[in-house]
Amino acid sequence: MKNLFFLFTVLILATLELNWPIFLNFFYCKPDLLLVFMVVVVFCTDFKTALIFGILAGLVKDLFSPGVSAVNTIGFSVWSYAVYLFSRQISTDESYVRLAVVLAVGLLHNFIIGLQSIGAGNILSWGVFLRNLIIVSVYSMSLAPLIFKLTKRIAS
Amino acid sequence: MLKLPRKIIINFVLVLSVLLLVSRSLSCFKNPAQKVFRPQLSFIAFVKHEFLGIIFYHRNMLQAGNLQKDIDLLRWRLFDLRELSQENIRLKDLLNFKQKSPLRLVAARVIGRTMDSWSSSVIIDKGKYHGIKSGMAVICPKGLVGSIVESTESTSKVLLINDPNQGVFSIVQRNRQEGLVNGTLGGNLIMRYLPEEAQIVIGDIIITSELSQVYPKGLLLGRVVSIGREFSGLNRYALVKPLVDLTSIEEVLVIIP
Repeated sequence: MKNLFFLFTVLILATLELNWPIFLNFFYCKPDLLLVFMVVVVFCTDFKTALIFGILAGLVKDLFSPGVSAVNTIGFSVWSYAVYLFSRQISTDESYVRLAVVLAVGLLHNFIIGLQSIGAGNILSWGVFLRNLIIVSVYSMSLAPLIFKLTKRIAS
Repeated sequence: MLKLPRKIIINFVLVLSVLLLVSRSLSCFKNPAQKVFRPQLSFIAFVKHEFLGIIFYHRNMLQAGNLQKDIDLLRWRLFDLRELSQENIRLKDLLNFKQKSPLRLVAARVIGRTMDSWSSSVIIDKGKYHGIKSGMAVICPKGLVGSIVESTESTSKVLLINDPNQGVFSIVQRNRQEGLVNGTLGGNLIMRYLPEEAQIVIGDIIITSELSQVYPKGLLLGRVVSIGREFSGLNRYALVKPLVDLTSIEEVLVIIP
């Protein structure tokens, strides 16, 4: 039952991201809700469930991206594992620690996607690169408490 | 025959004359009288109004509530009508363009946008069933929008011209100078591989070239807003502002070759 609710959450967040209102964009950037969900689900459930839903979230994101690479699927599974290892090393009970983890994962994930895009020969100015790196990560982090509350309620 | 006494008739005529005289000169007394009575009348009217307001407070409160509901409803209807009116204008433009254009076009509505900020694409509500295939050009009455990269039975994914993976062979309309226009994820596109001696100026119109395999020749792309020299120093580049507002497109046309 819990897994079914998580599945619904992935679908709802994906739909929300696909139809994110333009007036809620911040400097042309929208938050990465599925990435936040992927991180948050590690804190709320066991590792196996978190990994499965992390991969699923990445897969959904890749399905709706114009690129052919599965960078989000691979990235999300790696970040799920990394966050799991990290949460075993230090206490992540405090909400600010969790927000910091969301921010760190957001920055790393966007940095890798940005590098991949530049590596593919695309022209990205420093401004656009930093905008997508910082604003998307911070915007995602700012919405993390909402997703965290939702996920925690489903998990309990 | 009825005979009226003379005295009565005289009295009647006299009273009538006096009345006529008074009525003639009544207007002279009107203004001063109204001036004198105005404050008292105003005060009484105010008291009466307030008194009735207190007496009928409950009824007025209910009426105000109902009227507020009506106002809210009408406001929403007005908002809906404005939205419909704008949609009507857009669709009329699209239809006019479709009728006038020699190209075979399929109109589609944007139903979704890209999930991340590292790419720029939209999802439209027409797919293979409507004859749309990968590689087809997508336009709107103002100019080029992008190209189809994926299509399912009922939906298609359009890679917009401001995506960095998008490349369009283009020419400067004025002097037919060729270049490659790429997206930058920013507000402008970049036209690259312009030779050092290229005669290009700010304000030049950029259109698609016949060298392009995907796009028909002559589709409007944008206007040059800035010119610079590439890092290598061998070529120049031009920043092109797209004519289409790619952040707010809602309806598009797919060119069926």
